[in-house]
Amino acid sequence: MEHQSLDRTSMRGDRVTKSILFSSSLVLLLLSAGMIFTLASGAIPAFRQFGIGFIFSSAWDPTPGKENYGSLAFITGTILTSLLALIICIPMAFSASLFISEFYKGTRLASILRSLVDLLAGVPSIVYGFWGFYTLRPLIMKTGLSDQGFGIFTASLILAIMIVPYATSLSSEIISMVSVEMKEAAYSLGATRREVIFNVVIPSAMSGIVASFILALGRALGETMAVTMLIGNANVIPDGLFSPGNTMASVIANQFGEADGLRMSALIAIGLILFAITALVNAIGKIIIKRFA
Amino acid sequence: MENILEDNIRRRALRNRRFKWLVIAGSIVTVTPIFLIVINLIVKGARQINLSFFTETSPDTFQAMTATANGEIIPGGIANGLTGSLIMVLIASALAIPTGLMTGIYLYENKKKRYASFIRSLAEVLQGVPSIILGIIAYIWIVKGLTKGYSALAGSIALSIMMLPIIVRSTEETMSMIPVQIREAAFALGVPYYKMIFRVLIPCSFSGLATGVLLSLSRILGETAPLMLTALGSPVMSLNVAKPSSAVPLLIWDFYNDPNMVNMVWSASLFLMIFVLSLNLLSRSISKKRKYI
Amino acid sequence: MKKLIILLVASLVVVSCNNSGSNKTARNRNVTLSAAGATFPLPFYNLAFKKYAEATGVTVNYGGIGSGGGIKSLRDKVVDFGATDAFLSDEELVTMSEPVVHIPTCIGGVVLAYNLPGITGLKLTPEIIEGIFLGGITKWNDPKIAAVNKDLSLPDLKITVVYRSDGSGTTYIFSDYMTKAGKLWGEKIGTGKSLNWPVGIAAKGNPGVAGTISQSAGTIGYIGYEFAVAQKIPAAAVANSSGSFIEPNLQSLSAAASIDIPADTRVMLTNSSNPQAYPITSFTWIILYKEQAYGNHSQANAEATVRAVKWLTESDAQSIATSVNYAPLPQKAVEQASKVLSVVTFNGTPILR
Repeated sequence: MEHQSLDRTSMRGDRVTKSILFSSSLVLLLLSAGMIFTLASGAIPAFRQFGIGFIFSSAWDPTPGKENYGSLAFITGTILTSLLALIICIPMAFSASLFISEFYKGTRLASILRSLVDLLAGVPSIVYGFWGFYTLRPLIMKTGLSDQGFGIFTASLILAIMIVPYATSLSSEIISMVSVEMKEAAYSLGATRREVIFNVVIPSAMSGIVASFILALGRALGETMAVTMLIGNANVIPDGLFSPGNTMASVIANQFGEADGLRMSALIAIGLILFAITALVNAIGKIIIKRFA
Repeated sequence: MENILEDNIRRRALRNRRFKWLVIAGSIVTVTPIFLIVINLIVKGARQINLSFFTETSPDTFQAMTATANGEIIPGGIANGLTGSLIMVLIASALAIPTGLMTGIYLYENKKKRYASFIRSLAEVLQGVPSIILGIIAYIWIVKGLTKGYSALAGSIALSIMMLPIIVRSTEETMSMIPVQIREAAFALGVPYYKMIFRVLIPCSFSGLATGVLLSLSRILGETAPLMLTALGSPVMSLNVAKPSSAVPLLIWDFYNDPNMVNMVWSASLFLMIFVLSLNLLSRSISKKRKYI
Repeated sequence: MKKLIILLVASLVVVSCNNSGSNKTARNRNVTLSAAGATFPLPFYNLAFKKYAEATGVTVNYGGIGSGGGIKSLRDKVVDFGATDAFLSDEELVTMSEPVVHIPTCIGGVVLAYNLPGITGLKLTPEIIEGIFLGGITKWNDPKIAAVNKDLSLPDLKITVVYRSDGSGTTYIFSDYMTKAGKLWGEKIGTGKSLNWPVGIAAKGNPGVAGTISQSAGTIGYIGYEFAVAQKIPAAAVANSSGSFIEPNLQSLSAAASIDIPADTRVMLTNSSNPQAYPITSFTWIILYKEQAYGNHSQANAEATVRAVKWLTESDAQSIATSVNYAPLPQKAVEQASKVLSVVTFNGTPILR
């Protein structure tokens, strides 16, 4: 008898716990649904005016009377800067995580490096913006690659620096978890460290490494302040690596304060599209992970 | 025969060494920016930091103007920003940490369900949403809807939405690393579900959880855009969450826009960085004490 | 860990008590007002409201989120008053649910800042400015520029134009002047807070433009007067409607407002008819609802709002403005402002008696 009632109580308690956990997941669901709903209602005027062509139009004319908006210029800018940032970030994050979790694993040096990389994550984005504007930009101007220093490349560079900690911290955790037995087996066969890394560590950690890069990419897609100070804010499709352009997050931040009516709706529509692109990038990342796992 | 073998070994050893130096070089490149940024901040901002920096509210442009003209440091400090940031971060954490933890645990416990992977994708997408969009959402929901005015509460909610996905994902990933045996052992002993979570799951994954919380705090401490649309800013220290409030990044933005107060930008940014670094070190030392695995 | 939290909370309490003495915030039953709007007058407003709080105990939380943000906030009724560098057009007034009044508080100037090593005292006419910004004039030693600057040896350097990437009242004021004073500007670029600029690079905010100009030689851009003064960037003298080259300073800025001002004070001071005026100037206004009893706007708040705004137009606040390089309102404007404020009511009764 006692045994049965204990079972029932504990089962009830467990059910309560389970439902509490479940309801907390609902928060995320309701939040996202609410956000999409609010954004969608704000974006409707723009889509009603320009139709689906809004996504593919590179126009951006705020002159009252002949307003014409399109998001293509910003979609291009966002994708270009984020991808370029990721490409620049990959060798840096790879080196740093291998340093921390393979070559100097467990040493003081490794934890110093890890703290330094974590520090990068702690720099507020507005500080990256200032530093980029006052320090990085003149540097780029000196190299002569771009005479004003603004542009896709500078923005991607600062983005790359910003997202390195996200990629590194997760990657190094995953790499350090690769089973020691497998590595030892490879070493016992006479492999060099480099060979072990390329043939054992990386393949087994691949899905985690890709996940960390997806995380970093997601961060790059949404970054606002640092990009807006360095990208030159030209509302056109950039015609070169060192030409100015604009990203979705940056144009929203720049113009939201003064926007109204149709332009506001266009900006919110851009926000919605950014939401969709982030979801797309994440989905692609998942597929890539599944292929490697 | 032996020559070929020796050649082969020598070649592989050379590649091994070269790779190692490549990794070291890459790691140095990765951390160079942080040195540059920190040195820049210290050189430009250390002058302004003294005790009154923490106890006095922000200076006005006249004080700044006269001080710079006389070559003195600008009087005043960031006390209003400190209190505002502290209050908003506390509220945001109180909202986001429990919800994020529980959602992360839910996802970990229900990995196989389709609903769970849907929620997981939502969290990843939410993470890429630019902060300005969250600011717009919080403006519509809270500033217009709830408090009918700019308020610290609206700011806290925008910040908590930013923290949520990071905590959810890092909680789930960390818990996945706990050996299944520990969890099963707890159940085998008849531990009720909730106790298992609080006494087994959470302590075991504490270091990872702390990292996730820390990452989310670092993310929100430097955000300006969402706070401009929600907390607005205030010259005084206020404990009233239904009223506008200042925050350190808002002050940085104010200083940037004031022609006389650019020097304060560096000091406030330096302070933010030091604060985040201390949070980092704090969490690192806490996790060392609680290493159960 | 617990000790840390107790320490934090304790220090919070101690510090806020310390400061409440000088700010009269904790102890007063008084009102806290919130306002939002233009970044141009932000330094002046912050300083003025700080002094106001010391004198009366009323705190004003002002957020520099942009003129458009100020208008939106007032429309959404989430602030007590807004601030804007461009007065509401008739169409915009229609979108506000109730009548809105404008009160000018000070005068700001937009200057053409430039970076030419070793050269100061540049003079520009509207035609030259138009040529530069439309891309017709591309070198500093262009004969058109040299013609009015015979005393300067202009270098053979490419002109780089810098404009604002974010929507801004400064852009509005500059483009409004150029539309009036230029020949092609109106149809090629037009007037507005965000425009399509044919040439040049964009920078964010006044500090962005000022910083870009300071860092690169050969640049020219438009920034607020107080920025040029504070960061010691040379600004050109511009030929005004009477043909004289006027340098921007507090007198020439205020002179632009010594003209007839309409009763609702909605007038652009650009291209002022006053022969001593610097031509690129504008009022900056505070906007608030004519009938203050709306939503949950309390009487105490309404009275505090009107009194605070009135104080801004009076001599104490105006001398504060001058001390930080904002041009004060001439007497006529102060009188108009006072008349406007006298019709602001609460439930039909004028607040100021």
